[in-house]
Amino acid sequence: MTPEEIEKYVDAAAAAVALPIAPAHRPGVLHYFALAASMADLVNAQALTPEDEPAPVFLPVSPPEA
Amino acid sequence: MDPVSKTAETWFRQGAARMAEAVRAREVSVTALVEDSLQRISRTDDRVNAFTDVTTVRALQRAAELDAQLASDDGVSALDALPLLGVPFAVKNLFDIEGLPTRAGSWIGRYSAPATQDGALVRRMEAAGAVLVGGLNMDEYAYGFTTENSHDGPTHNPHDLTRIAGGSSGGSAAAVAAGQVPIALGSDTNGSIRVPSSLCGVFGLKPTYGRLTRAGSYPFVASLDHLGPFARSVHDLALSYDAMQGPDHDDPACAQRVVERTLGELGRGADGLRIAVLDGYFQEHAGEQVRAAVSRVAAALGASRHVELPEVARARAAAFLISNAEGAQLHLPDLRTRAGDFEPLSRDRFLAGALLPAAWVVQAQRVRRWFALQAAELFRTTDLLLAPATPCPATPIGTEWIEINGKRFPARPSMGLMTQPISCIGLPVCCVPVWMEGSALPGTNGALPVGVQLIAAPWREDIALRAAAALEAAGVVTAPVAVLGDSA
Repeated sequence: MTPEEIEKYVDAAAAAVALPIAPAHRPGVLHYFALAASMADLVNAQALTPEDEPAPVFLPVSPPEA
Repeated sequence: MDPVSKTAETWFRQGAARMAEAVRAREVSVTALVEDSLQRISRTDDRVNAFTDVTTVRALQRAAELDAQLASDDGVSALDALPLLGVPFAVKNLFDIEGLPTRAGSWIGRYSAPATQDGALVRRMEAAGAVLVGGLNMDEYAYGFTTENSHDGPTHNPHDLTRIAGGSSGGSAAAVAAGQVPIALGSDTNGSIRVPSSLCGVFGLKPTYGRLTRAGSYPFVASLDHLGPFARSVHDLALSYDAMQGPDHDDPACAQRVVERTLGELGRGADGLRIAVLDGYFQEHAGEQVRAAVSRVAAALGASRHVELPEVARARAAAFLISNAEGAQLHLPDLRTRAGDFEPLSRDRFLAGALLPAAWVVQAQRVRRWFALQAAELFRTTDLLLAPATPCPATPIGTEWIEINGKRFPARPSMGLMTQPISCIGLPVCCVPVWMEGSALPGTNGALPVGVQLIAAPWREDIALRAAAALEAAGVVTAPVAVLGDSA
């Protein structure tokens, strides 16, 4: 993502999750979002097959025993 | 000998096993051990800043109760079977302590309602006879590797007070290194047990993901959070780890496994284990001293084979994204309304993490699983992998940048470069402290420790601990109490 794309995305996503970003925090947020984007480039470049599922961790919850 | 006449000075250098043995022999009272710990904390913590809460009243009360029961049982007591009888311990302040707000290193947390009961592992430690003496400093919400906590002040490395203790369980490692307690508990999501173990020169165990219950501890990243112990000997590490095992329905990620004790396995040593050094990424990100430490451990274990895990940087990136997204989502309500109350060193990372596209995070979880399969393939022919725990020894407090092999890295996040890819796939690791004489950093009085990760296949903590015990017996790794000067 370009710096301009990051700015646009951050503003839109912040609005979507109702997260106000104070002007004093904005440069840091853009910096760390860019860092996350570089990490995303790494994971997205890993070739996976449809069988490469995430490890499921959800356990159905039974009612407590009476 | 009158059991309470032993002076406090006698005990703080002893390990947990020796303390429990002395109580059993009626050589010392539990009260004397607890008072020793409290005095050591009182005389050293103005410099170390490991503790945020000292539970003096509770600890002395419990000690008195144990002593009274031991006395009334007239020489033979059911308490004598307890493996940690009378042993003082402390916990990272993300563990619930009944009657105290659970800080989790935060400003916000310290004004939360007091915990109504102890966390599960605190209860298991006390059921084994140990006595809680307090809560320990950490990076806010465990999101950091340095314990430079802006609310409670930084924890200072007991071996060089100008340097970081590592994090996020910095108070836990420092308290053990300073001789304040023989055992402390911490958490490890991306390296938060192994990094401070490495920098403070103590033993640390990050068990397999799902091994120890996390019930009653403040979460950071549900997909990656582990809890585990610190100690100054492998024996004490195994003793406390064994006491804390067992399934727990209150933690949905806690595996329904029987207790698999390790203490009795330590004497088997490393004979017969197939051991290899991790190359590639783990060598490229390691400074000279750290590489030398791994070589020394490998030589002592007779490990000449070198192997590589594929795509380690992608695994680290996966852990980064999962942590960023899950950690931020957990705090979203507070980030919306009071972002200014967060730790300045991690606030903007939390804010950014709340905005990550779902596609990145799901891909990261799939890469994580893929990487776990690659590691499993390696463990078909190898029992134990060796890798550095940190890229370098402890840096001065406030350091912004470090240089590793000619490349510049941001200091704080880079302390987790070696640990993050391993916890990403939940492998058990014992971090062992190596002291490289003659390679002291400028401004230090002597050598600083660095840790080596002994990494085993899932559920094989016994193998990592056996190798650690063999290294300790050979004098290759050791965790001395820090020299803290005059009155300490």
